[in-house]
Amino acid sequence: MENKYYPWGGEFTRCTSNSCVAVVLLNIEYMPSDKVAIYGPLKTENIGIEKIVANVISNPNIRYLVVCGEEIRGHRSGMSLIALNKNGIDDQHRIIDAPGAIPYIENINSEAIERFRSQVKTINLIDEKDKNKIDIAIDKCIKEKPGSFGKPYIAIRIVPEATTNLEDQRALHSKIVVDYMGKIEKRGE
Amino acid sequence: MFSFTKEQEVLEISGIKIGGQPGMYPTVLFGGLFFKGEPEPIKAKGYLHKMLDLSKKTGNPGIPDFFIRKEEYIAPIIDFIEVDLPKNLPFSVDITDPSVKVQVLESLHDKKLLSRTIYNSIHVGITDEETDALKKYTPEMAIVVSFNPKDKSPDGKIEVLENGAHLTSSGLLDISKNVGIKKILIDTAALAPGDNSGASIAAIPVIKEEYGLPTGCAIHNVVEKSKWLDDFEGVRKTVDASSNVNIPLFGGDFAIFGPVGNADIVFPIVAWQDILVSEYTENYFGISPVDFHPRRKLLK
Repeated sequence: MENKYYPWGGEFTRCTSNSCVAVVLLNIEYMPSDKVAIYGPLKTENIGIEKIVANVISNPNIRYLVVCGEEIRGHRSGMSLIALNKNGIDDQHRIIDAPGAIPYIENINSEAIERFRSQVKTINLIDEKDKNKIDIAIDKCIKEKPGSFGKPYIAIRIVPEATTNLEDQRALHSKIVVDYMGKIEKRGE
Repeated sequence: MFSFTKEQEVLEISGIKIGGQPGMYPTVLFGGLFFKGEPEPIKAKGYLHKMLDLSKKTGNPGIPDFFIRKEEYIAPIIDFIEVDLPKNLPFSVDITDPSVKVQVLESLHDKKLLSRTIYNSIHVGITDEETDALKKYTPEMAIVVSFNPKDKSPDGKIEVLENGAHLTSSGLLDISKNVGIKKILIDTAALAPGDNSGASIAAIPVIKEEYGLPTGCAIHNVVEKSKWLDDFEGVRKTVDASSNVNIPLFGGDFAIFGPVGNADIVFPIVAWQDILVSEYTENYFGISPVDFHPRRKLLK
């Protein structure tokens, strides 16, 4: 039953499914109490954020996303996640006003992103490493008892279309042929 | 094991050659320093000497890859490079923070170290400030990472190199050439398990046949993210080191193998793989290994 939530997998720990809090750990050695729904680390400002979005909206009980720990240098993944929740993405799929290096959301559709923005509120505890303060913030969210957002939303992973069409200027992989000895050449040349 | 129809470039930096047809040159191994905590020069020196000894023994060139996490670490790490590195040894600087990248380039210029610098890396997150700094303080060589967040397949990797997908104004190869970088290595961007991790290996022959440029990746990152390995006691380092053999097996030229402390396993295992590749490619494609190839040095 637990697997219906969090269908995109990743590096996380499940706790209480009907809790309203998910915790995102940046650079921090901290284990939240099992009163939260799920917690895990965030490293990258693109694929990492996509997994969080997909796994959060599949559990409608999650209404708060507590983002804590030292910000990931260069990637600025924590602030990019908060920017996504606040601003969404532009038509190039870039998170609006995200400070990260490559803050692009490419594998999840805009409906899922809007659902994420509506379903959860982010609690910005970036650069907060005091575990007591984080615990207090989590407890405060739990006390709010916001209730479920409704039905789970299962985000579909957008998969690029595979092609073997030689006319396609983009798909070059399919143009490589290897003979039985291992000699490689481009097909059609 | 492969051979390419496209002519393969061999690039040189401070005496180290990277690239060519499989079986010709030994795989170049980048060992990472200063990943965690404060830079510790004495410890680093020990690791570095060990890596260079292994390099001498196997023939596989070893290049230190300095991870510069924050501004405060720029000065001590550049000092280490200037003072403690053998004077002719090339090195790479691995930086994620764009502002740190700019400062490091300026500092390397001031210390006259750019001719030995491999810039790690140019990717779709390149900023205008970084572009300007690269034009002003151009490193001898750069690693271009073909990470495409939308399409992680080999095709997607080609797309960012070719036209930048829609993430940059032009392709990463053009961007690199336009800032003045003449020697380009392609990193096929190894991603976590579940994110088409195998594509980083499959893309090696694709990219080499397309561009003829030296190609490799940090395949050990996939091992690092394979949490299930924790259920098997004591195997992580072995699997991490072994993952690198995929690179020469698929025709690649360099491996960014992660912590330099793993050099004791990585060098012999990659040398072993290089010998395997060389024996085949010489027999079937007539590619003779260079004098310092592991096959020449280790097979008596």
